[in-house]
Amino acid sequence: MVTDAARVRAETPGVGGPSPNAWRAVSAWGLAAIIFLLARGFDPQYSMFWVFGLAFGFVLQRGRFCFASAFRDLFLLGHGRTMKGVLLGLAVASVGFGIVMARQVPVTTMGFDPPSANVLPIGVHTALGGILFGVGMVLAGGCVSGSLYRMGEGYVASWVAFAGVMAGLLVSAYTWNWWWESSISTGARLWLPRHLGHSGALVVTLLALGAAFVWVIRLEHRAGMVVPGPRSEPEVSEGVADDLRALGRTVFVRGWPVVTAGAVLGGLNALLFTAQEPWGFTGEVGRLTVGLAGFFGATPPPPEGVGSLPGCVLVPWTGVLDHMTFMVGGMWLGSFAAALGAGEFKLRVPKRPVRYAQSLGGGVVMGYGSGIAMGCTIGAFFSGIPSLAINGWLFAAFLGLGAWMGTHMIRRIA
Amino acid sequence: MAQTLDVRGEICPYPMMRTVSALKKLSTDERTLEVVTDHPPTLETIPTQAARLGFTTAVEEVGGSEWRIVLTRDRD
Repeated sequence: MVTDAARVRAETPGVGGPSPNAWRAVSAWGLAAIIFLLARGFDPQYSMFWVFGLAFGFVLQRGRFCFASAFRDLFLLGHGRTMKGVLLGLAVASVGFGIVMARQVPVTTMGFDPPSANVLPIGVHTALGGILFGVGMVLAGGCVSGSLYRMGEGYVASWVAFAGVMAGLLVSAYTWNWWWESSISTGARLWLPRHLGHSGALVVTLLALGAAFVWVIRLEHRAGMVVPGPRSEPEVSEGVADDLRALGRTVFVRGWPVVTAGAVLGGLNALLFTAQEPWGFTGEVGRLTVGLAGFFGATPPPPEGVGSLPGCVLVPWTGVLDHMTFMVGGMWLGSFAAALGAGEFKLRVPKRPVRYAQSLGGGVVMGYGSGIAMGCTIGAFFSGIPSLAINGWLFAAFLGLGAWMGTHMIRRIA
Repeated sequence: MAQTLDVRGEICPYPMMRTVSALKKLSTDERTLEVVTDHPPTLETIPTQAARLGFTTAVEEVGGSEWRIVLTRDRD
């Protein structure tokens, strides 16, 4: 007897049995498991960052959590879908960070900053870094982490953008000492709990995120109606096995709602901060780039002041492996495995030559911006605001300004 | 015969932008535009943009991470 559920499965491609995609994804996860075991043999910290990296990469790809589109689509489309996910993620992470920091620094008036939170000096470098990053991510069609998961999805232009980011980070490493002396070393580090107390700082941050949410909704209404994307039909269930299969498809095959991805990423960020430090990305990409340049005899001068700075600052080359190497590698493999499992890997080759130029140029500008701002949309923004620090908001404001400028630029590039 | 716009290989957000400008250029007696894309985020953004211009979106999965989006002008 052919049941309805069986007929539905037979008629739905890729559900009758494990697809080639599923096997490729299982191989990728198998590789991830082998690296986990090797990493644990070296240092348990390595394997912990590897697991976090895999999880971050997986969720970024599943939710298509793209910071570039969060900002750009507000201005270009009057569409706030992704930004709502970002704001929810920031709220979740802020609560988590707030609890951890209240334990680390119970008395806020003593002048100590929480040791690993991203409380960074503010100044011209924050503003210019934000603008450059905002322009670059819109030109390149993705921020640094967005380009990373698109690399895993087979977007050739994202590989070009990532190479540009590395070049931009290298240039910023050459100019770091100038920035350190003229702006960063004298910048104030404004940690809100010192002035408002722990709960006051958290309440103000959540209210500001709420205000941003209202502003997003206003922008949407000014632009007109919003139509939800296509939703898949609920599957016919005939027992536990069907339910589990449906759950598997929800997690591994269908895209996640962006608010789900935002909440999970915010929670993972808080969890990682509880374990050690906030989520970051570009600092390690910069470190590897500097190391690669050193291999070719082009090591930038030693950076001043970085020992006193948290976040994604460019640290000097100490050796191939660092715990953050496993974060970056894990994010790449996690997003790649996620794209394979969902059948979303495909080589996407732009036909218009200008796309390669704008991806490379956008990447360079973005890399330089993240070098002087000491972080990208992850370290300086998604971990900056939850650190209850002014630098996160300042970077966000100029990131938005840069994205707005970038939106005008891409309208002129056919 | 409906016009077809092939935006495969394009980077974000050009599949959506080129669809919108093609819809705006469509003459009033043309009722449909067909878009071929391999960029999944467009499935979320095009329905809203098309609705604002008076078009209804139908998405068909071609397979291999490609989609055919048929945009039909609303009767009013």
